[in-house]
Amino acid sequence: MMHHTMGVDGSYPFLLAVWLLPLLGAILLWAFGPQLGRLGGPLGCASVGLAFLFTVLSWGAGTQHGDGGALGAHQGLVSWLPGFDLGLLLDPLALLWALIITGVGFLIHVYSIGYMDGDRAFARFFAYLNFFVFAMLTLVLSDNFVGLLIGWGLVGLASYFLIGFWFEKPSAVAAARKAFVLNVVGDVGIMFAIFVMFAATGSTGFGDVFAHAGSFGTAALLTVCIALFVGAAAKSAQIPLHTWLPDAMEGPTPVSALIHAATMVTAGVYLIARCAPLWSQSADAQLLVGTIGGLTALVGAILGVAQWDIKRILAYSTMSQIGYMIMGVGIGAYEGGVAHFFTHAFFKAQLFLGSGLIIHALANEQDVRKMGGLRKRLPFAFVAMGTGVLAICGIPGFSGFFSKDQVIYGALEHGHPWLYAVGIVTAGITAYYMCRMLFIAFLGEYRGGVDPSDLGMRHPELAGTTAHDGHEEHAHAPAWYMNVPVGILIVPTVLIGWLMFGGETSPWAHFFAGQFPVAHLGAPGISELATTLMVLVVVLIGIGLAYWRYATASALSDAVPRLREESIRMPAVLTNLFYFDAAIDLLFVRPAQLLGTVFGRFLDPHVIDGGVRDVAAGARWLGALTRSFQTGLVRAYALFVVFGALLFLAYYAFAGSLR
Amino acid sequence: MLQVAITNYIALSATIFFVGVAGVLLRRNPLIMLMSIELMWNAANLLFLAFARMWANNAGHIFAFLVITVAAAEAAIGLAIVVIVFRDAKNVDVDEVAGLRG
Repeated sequence: MMHHTMGVDGSYPFLLAVWLLPLLGAILLWAFGPQLGRLGGPLGCASVGLAFLFTVLSWGAGTQHGDGGALGAHQGLVSWLPGFDLGLLLDPLALLWALIITGVGFLIHVYSIGYMDGDRAFARFFAYLNFFVFAMLTLVLSDNFVGLLIGWGLVGLASYFLIGFWFEKPSAVAAARKAFVLNVVGDVGIMFAIFVMFAATGSTGFGDVFAHAGSFGTAALLTVCIALFVGAAAKSAQIPLHTWLPDAMEGPTPVSALIHAATMVTAGVYLIARCAPLWSQSADAQLLVGTIGGLTALVGAILGVAQWDIKRILAYSTMSQIGYMIMGVGIGAYEGGVAHFFTHAFFKAQLFLGSGLIIHALANEQDVRKMGGLRKRLPFAFVAMGTGVLAICGIPGFSGFFSKDQVIYGALEHGHPWLYAVGIVTAGITAYYMCRMLFIAFLGEYRGGVDPSDLGMRHPELAGTTAHDGHEEHAHAPAWYMNVPVGILIVPTVLIGWLMFGGETSPWAHFFAGQFPVAHLGAPGISELATTLMVLVVVLIGIGLAYWRYATASALSDAVPRLREESIRMPAVLTNLFYFDAAIDLLFVRPAQLLGTVFGRFLDPHVIDGGVRDVAAGARWLGALTRSFQTGLVRAYALFVVFGALLFLAYYAFAGSLR
Repeated sequence: MLQVAITNYIALSATIFFVGVAGVLLRRNPLIMLMSIELMWNAANLLFLAFARMWANNAGHIFAFLVITVAAAEAAIGLAIVVIVFRDAKNVDVDEVAGLRG
């Protein structure tokens, strides 16, 4: 049996500080933004930095094992309706997420001081970022599903604010709206799951629900898992709810790094890892979620091959990597899936911040075809992006190597050979498109002066406006507070994976001891070492292919016609992104619009308004009728009275004769 | 003592009543109309007294007094209205005074 009696008795008020500091920062920045001016940046960084410090200080409390297998620290908040008590819980899983949210969040805050320099709404940006950190902490620190859902909704709101941060741009507003609507689809899924869970257990607390996971019944358990996964899929950009994530790149690059790579989009991974006691009892849910995760990994990687916008390449790679994580936690390889979240948060944040260095230096150019030769111009960005690419490819020794292999091998261990194969193939494609981006952007000659149409950019005049990142167009050398966070991130990107080295005896396994249900697995036919070698071979093939196409001497010397050729020859199925947007448009948007039209053109004017109008017309008609008797002539009234009296008389005379 | 049949009282009362009704319906002078209404009151009174006598029951007399009282009140209000309307319209033709037409 699992030991999921969540939370030690007693309280740990220190958690409140971790949780509320970013909110305090957000409120101060919101209220006094204009007065703070340039000080808004340091203030925003300070609140998140302090929250990080407090999280680190809570390490011991979060990993302690109390009596009866209880894990972590607990702090009650509000008791109201029975079964709906709100509280905070810090166990290893929540601690890990809180460390990433505040730690990576702090670095990205510092970076933003440079990136957002000169923006009119400097303080507003930091207010939103602080608010996001608070919302995300609410999500991961809650000890119950209601608090989780509140955090879930608030991060969606923060994401909406930040994607649409440059609200003068119509494309940013559209992307923000799309993200919000798709995320609300997920919120509804979670709310539905809460209803079912409350009906089954009479509580919404994690501990109570998970303690009764065995008594749900197969159908109810599967329903809960599917409803929760709708939420996870919407937030974590899983097929078919992924289409908002690439569009979300309209937001400022630090936002892409923090929200749409490192933290918020992994909320789905957190949710499934948190609900491991539910998933581990439903083989159907495991198969479903694992399959969708694997498919997302594959589709995201394939779409990544066809992108030219550096942030969109990274967005599809994020989608693909989250696919790995979801696959891992979905099939029961919880530690592997969470490990991939952990390493991904570092290397993907670094890749995004590195791309931000490029975008910042090239006056908001985001199309890799217009880059080229940046190795000499931006050596530091090259190092940052290069290590990030090595990590995401899974080169041995770099962080991504350890976590990705855990997920892939986990698929085999948990009896999903197909997902195992998909994982290996995706690793190869990942290596190909990431190196493609790296080679096109950093090798060869700088192509900034080349006519866009010579590069095959279909709408050069449009490419200019859509690719650009909004604020004033001038190139600047990155300030130290942009380079330092990237430099710091390089360390975990390269090294953090070693925490997971050593299998059962690794610090990673020790950290999570008692967190997840333990499955007893037979030894699969292929050893872990063989798998690692196989993945490595596929990855090297991917890198070799990219090298052969983009980095050989001949490829570099005629890069311009080659890029033009590739742009023009790109298959329609890839440029249309597998028609997901078109399908969603056809299946949901159009019917919704049709419904709106039916309501607007027929139901509302004719039935609802029409009903009200008919009642009014009836009253008016009745009024006209009775008004016609009101002649004002006294003698006419007297005549009516006489006739009335005669009618009475006639009635009684007649009735009398009947008797 | 001369006994008069009840039917005669009823016939007289009905005649007086319909004279009153005709007066209200046909005349346009409000004073005449009030007088016609007075005829109708008294037709009713006559009937009350006739039946009271027939049944040897004094309740009919009581009702007659009640009717006289109410009739007096009605005449007072009616005459007051006529005076005010006359002051305002310089005219006492009820067909000309139709300000309440809907």
